[in-house]
Amino acid sequence: MRFTSRLICTATVGALLAAPAMSAELTGTLKKIKDSGTIVVGHRDASIPFSYLDNNQQPIGYSMDLANKVVAAVKKELKMPGLKVQYNLVTSQTRIPLVQNGTVDFECGSTTNNLERQKQVDFSVGIFEIGTRLLTKKTSGIKDFTDLKGKNVVTTAGTTSERLIKAMNAEKQMGMNIISAKDHGESFLMAESGRAVAFMMDDALLYGEMAKAKAPAEWVVTGKPQSFEIYGCMMRKEDPAFKKVVDDTIKATYKSGEINKIYTKWFMNPVPPKGLNLNFPMSDELKGLIKSPTDKSAEQM
Amino acid sequence: MIRFMNVHKWFKDLHVLNDVSLTVAAGEVVVVCGPSGSGKSTLIRTVNQLESINSGEIWVDGKNVADPKTDLNALRAKVGFVFQHFNLYPHLSVLDNITLSPLMVKKMERAAADKLALQLLERVGLAHKKDAFPAQLSGGQQQRVAIARGLAMQPQVMLFDEPTSALDPEMIGEVLHVMKDLAESGMTMMVVTHEMGFAREVADRVVFVDHGQIIEEAQPEEFFMNPQHDRAKQFLRQLLTPMQ
Amino acid sequence: MNYNWDWNVFFKSTGIGNEIYLDWFVSGLGWTIAVALAGWIIALALGSLLGVMRTLPNKTASAIATGYVELFRNVPLLVQLFIWYFLVPDLLPEKAQIWFKQDLSPATSAYLSVVVCLGLFTAARVCEQVRTGIQALPKGQNYAAMAMGFQQAQVYRYVLLPQAFRVIIPPLTSEFLNIFKNSSVASLIGLMELLAQTKQTAEFSANLFEAFTLATVLYFVLNMSLMKLMGWVETRLRVPGMMGGAK
Repeated sequence: MRFTSRLICTATVGALLAAPAMSAELTGTLKKIKDSGTIVVGHRDASIPFSYLDNNQQPIGYSMDLANKVVAAVKKELKMPGLKVQYNLVTSQTRIPLVQNGTVDFECGSTTNNLERQKQVDFSVGIFEIGTRLLTKKTSGIKDFTDLKGKNVVTTAGTTSERLIKAMNAEKQMGMNIISAKDHGESFLMAESGRAVAFMMDDALLYGEMAKAKAPAEWVVTGKPQSFEIYGCMMRKEDPAFKKVVDDTIKATYKSGEINKIYTKWFMNPVPPKGLNLNFPMSDELKGLIKSPTDKSAEQM
Repeated sequence: MIRFMNVHKWFKDLHVLNDVSLTVAAGEVVVVCGPSGSGKSTLIRTVNQLESINSGEIWVDGKNVADPKTDLNALRAKVGFVFQHFNLYPHLSVLDNITLSPLMVKKMERAAADKLALQLLERVGLAHKKDAFPAQLSGGQQQRVAIARGLAMQPQVMLFDEPTSALDPEMIGEVLHVMKDLAESGMTMMVVTHEMGFAREVADRVVFVDHGQIIEEAQPEEFFMNPQHDRAKQFLRQLLTPMQ
Repeated sequence: MNYNWDWNVFFKSTGIGNEIYLDWFVSGLGWTIAVALAGWIIALALGSLLGVMRTLPNKTASAIATGYVELFRNVPLLVQLFIWYFLVPDLLPEKAQIWFKQDLSPATSAYLSVVVCLGLFTAARVCEQVRTGIQALPKGQNYAAMAMGFQQAQVYRYVLLPQAFRVIIPPLTSEFLNIFKNSSVASLIGLMELLAQTKQTAEFSANLFEAFTLATVLYFVLNMSLMKLMGWVETRLRVPGMMGGAK
């Protein structure tokens, strides 16, 4: 039955010659999606405003808008308008293995593209670029990283910021006490409760935390970015056909300028669930990335 | 030495001791007997207040044990108690079982306590078992150690609560023998037992208890040969010829 | 699944100072042991006291201990940890707050919080074991000791507790192992114990499976050693003639 339907399908497609790629036998993720009739999208629960759950427990966000564009492109590519879309929650610990073992077909969230991860998964062209900076109280007197000598600094466990600040502390012997909190919310709590003078993290996420603060006006994002990081969508390695669909979709969004609308929607307007406005203007780095998209990590640039 | 005056005790609705009055003089050996559930074990436990009473008075060595002002621990230290199930401390050696109270309650020196314990073990014929643990001894041996333990506080009275009923028959003799020696040394003793041979040979008086009341109190010879009360007669008959 | 295995990852540089990933595991293991042992001392001392209180004739003492057990057993460990780490310090006087939050190094203040939290949490569980152990003893033991003129404290110290503890060594062993396993909650308040170092290694190196495999092996070896240790203690304390002891 399955064989027959595929035969008919392939025959039809072949006859119509709608997409030359389709005339070849499908492989990898596209074949898996076609066979199962389902595409599984990985998402996060609290990466505001990239990928998080709204009040109806639906995944939304900047990265999710891009992911949904990819889903639409896959439907078109496979000629399956009725393709089932399944959303699968991942965490920073589970996201790589779940992509690798096929539970999730691709993930768009706030995952940094770096060399270590490239050994395990492939990344799409960059979807965002952040700088790692500091969130501090305006009254703290902290202007830049050099002001942190001998102070308590918090960062979120398992992030690039954690690695950077620990390395900086070791190299420059700054005598900082570095707290690795379990998530961004807790990191901010450490800063808010006075256990740490500053919170180092991706600037976009810092703006998100600042918007959630009891008194956002008391806080400021400061310091020269210690690194730039490019977020990408993750997918299984060595699957050029699927990667091409993802990359082409994202590039098309950039080229048409639609990305600006998406950006404004999530970073310059009130966003669910609480109607907070991040007021985070687009950085020059992101503008550069949109102008010339790349799937390389920031360290490779 | 011990004096019960109109003692009453209830377990909820059950009247376990009903107006008991009894005197045990210094140097006297009194055997308490009666059917099971008659209240005789409760009676002996009220002497050192392992069981409290609801009304009446119990005087031991000139002190009213039911009076809250009485220092019960000091009183208990003067009254040795031997249980039906021995209740040796299983985690301590025979010697340590005997020396624990002298060391902790009397604050005796270790050497003196050991010496005393060895003397007592000699007396109950178990000196060679001083380093054994209770679980390594037979029931009869355990009970003899328990008697030595009771004597270690150099008490003025020894109370025995059915000391042989948990023993195999062949071990009863060795325990009764030790008790007889003790009686002959002039110890004041109150003994709850069904061993009528012991009562006959050693006791100065026999007290028969039923339904929480003392029904009969007599010289052993008189009690066994000529019991006055019907229930005492029936009790003795059942004890001597249980199959009928 | 196309995973890229690399068992040499533990000997690779972490990019922080001269440390290799294995150093992180060693330091994490050290913190895990330090947290668990200190918590266990609190748990054993307080748990024994509460366990005794639950068996006392005194109704007030017993009610206090019962309330303690209900409270600490029924609130999830993680919630308790956040209370000890975030809430309790804010209730301190101003000066103590500054000392706790800023003068102490973050590792020290996290350590103190997690030790207190685990100690008090486990104490409730130890309490129940001690209570069960005491109540499992024949009533005659209590009577025998009382008949000797012991004060209540002496009855517990010399007669009841030595026996109760021997009875409950196996369940206490499992509580002892639990406190080692539960110590991993420390990672959630930023204390870099074994689980935190494992996660950090996984994130930094992207060699998640190697990192968690090593952590599994370390936890396993640690717990097996503890079980051996407690087995040895049990044998040493075994009373001759009892419970399979030497005849």
